[in-house]
Amino acid sequence: MARIHLEQVGHSYGGGTYALEKADLVFEEGLTYALLGPSGCGKTTMLNIISGLVRPSDGRVLVGGTDMTDVPTVRRNIAQVFQFPVVYRSKTVFENLAFPLRCRGWNTTRLRPRVEEIAELLGMSKRLGQSARNLTADEKQLVSLGRGLVREDVAALLMDEPLTVIDPQMKSDLRRRIKQANARTRHTVVYVTHDQNEAMTFADEVLVMRAGRVVQRGGAQELFENPRDTYVGTFIGSPGMNFMAAERIGGRIGFAGVALLPATAANEVPDAADLRIGIRPEHLAFSNDGEQGIPASVNFVQDQGSFLIVDLTVASQTIKVKVRREVRIPSGPARLSFPAERLRLYADGALLTP
Amino acid sequence: MDQPEFRFYKLSFLLPGLLGLLAVILFPLFFTVRVSLSGWSAVSPGLDFDGLANYRALVSDVRFWQSFERLAGMAVGTVLIQYILGFAMALLVWREIRYRRFFRVLFLVPMMTTPVIMSVIWRTILHESLGPANDFLGLFGLGPYPWLTDGSFAMASVMMVEVWQWTPFMFLLLLAGLISLPREPFLAAAIDGAGPVRTFFNVTFPLMAPVSIGAIIIRLIEASKIMDSVYVLTSGGPGTATETAGYYIYIRGLKDFEIGYAAALSVTYLVVMIVLLTVIAKLLVRTFVGRGT
Repeated sequence: MARIHLEQVGHSYGGGTYALEKADLVFEEGLTYALLGPSGCGKTTMLNIISGLVRPSDGRVLVGGTDMTDVPTVRRNIAQVFQFPVVYRSKTVFENLAFPLRCRGWNTTRLRPRVEEIAELLGMSKRLGQSARNLTADEKQLVSLGRGLVREDVAALLMDEPLTVIDPQMKSDLRRRIKQANARTRHTVVYVTHDQNEAMTFADEVLVMRAGRVVQRGGAQELFENPRDTYVGTFIGSPGMNFMAAERIGGRIGFAGVALLPATAANEVPDAADLRIGIRPEHLAFSNDGEQGIPASVNFVQDQGSFLIVDLTVASQTIKVKVRREVRIPSGPARLSFPAERLRLYADGALLTP
Repeated sequence: MDQPEFRFYKLSFLLPGLLGLLAVILFPLFFTVRVSLSGWSAVSPGLDFDGLANYRALVSDVRFWQSFERLAGMAVGTVLIQYILGFAMALLVWREIRYRRFFRVLFLVPMMTTPVIMSVIWRTILHESLGPANDFLGLFGLGPYPWLTDGSFAMASVMMVEVWQWTPFMFLLLLAGLISLPREPFLAAAIDGAGPVRTFFNVTFPLMAPVSIGAIIIRLIEASKIMDSVYVLTSGGPGTATETAGYYIYIRGLKDFEIGYAAALSVTYLVVMIVLLTVIAKLLVRTFVGRGT
């Protein structure tokens, strides 16, 4: 277990554009981090730099204060789980879990209790004698994880989209088992995913990445309520945040001719070219009869089971509203209420702190 | 388009292929079976009916069964050596090394030469008194060796030429297999702390099992037809020391002109080969895939 510090680390494959922009990043000991972002944003590159499969073109990798930049993977004490489950197919589950220890010169008497302990932790004790070849995909992924956990010297556990190829029914069970195993071992975990639910439920802290850069890091609530820019706002949440072109109405900020934000906020607003108001679809509501609200017209309704996603047009801008299915949706003209405390203001894509 | 007309079109498109198949495979096969039941030979040419006389005779034909044993030994021996050498060469140029392209092409050269011509060249090289092989070894005080005139040496020479000629093919198949392997298992092995030897036996070799089986079976089928190199290098000699089944059938049929008997030998050869290779393929799959991948 150790604190991982990427000191001004950046990487470009073959000297071209940077797949990972130079930056300082710290992963604290014993915490779980999720790297979240679309394909090609540099998540896997960062992971491979930590594990030593890729040598960064810039910066240093410090693990527990020691410079590990030039130390090969084999001697790094990093465990990694890949997107596709990797098992040694010619071996039994027991031998699979024992393999990293055998590579470190442990004999059977010494490694047996350790392997059995990890199998117990993963709920695979009954399968130890089985051939790894006949396991299902999620069991194979557990074995991959087990090979990382079995080592006592592991500084960090890296997981590269480990649930992508797992059946949806098995996903939650596997996620629970990984989480339980982690809670017991308290490794520093870096978890790569493009699934925000996975990231939010799994990690203590989520790092949202885009084009080789960490755009925002924080807990689930922070990312949801205060996305630092419009990209994070759109990326996090399902559906993403609504952004409406804002206008100045007599020293106040609003849209569709209605002032929404108080003058204090307006005073701090710089003369930005692009000024937008952001609000989560969950925070919008239909106004009851007689209440105030901005007129809108309902385009269509998406049924998501327990929720309805209502697509509306407000002053020629499209807005999505997420409501519980019990809510009565007015057909045609409706009025929407915008709670002021939920509104966020963005100038040229960046959040203005209220 | 109505139904009968459609059928006519189908038939007319299939017919050339079917006729070709009939002419080059089915007719010769059935004709050989028919000939094997006749006593056609140089003295009594003609398609008479002799029953199973030829088959009764071949059961006790020691020379035929010995040539079979020899062939089995040669085929298995050469293919095994080819597999090991080919795998080693493929591993050598698999990863990024200097002049990788050059070596990949260089390794393929023997396969691209004409087998008979290469056998003639090898015969010259290995000639006991005139060949450069003994000349060269003489520089170190070795030899001269009876490369082609002693039974065991002749056998080794034939096998060596076979290996030299066909290892590149094995190399090509195995290299293609290696290049198409996924990267993750190798990364995982590195992270688990496995060195090159462990990685080879636990990752590379098991992952290569399907390709290996394919390559070995293709080469076994090819090697069971060893004939040209034997013909040129030793003509089956000295005595019958390097005589393979194919070469023996050739002698009986086209030199002694015992057409009926040679046909019976051919049919027997075909049946034995089909049975043997099927069993070998099954066994290979069971050992490699059953235990390995």
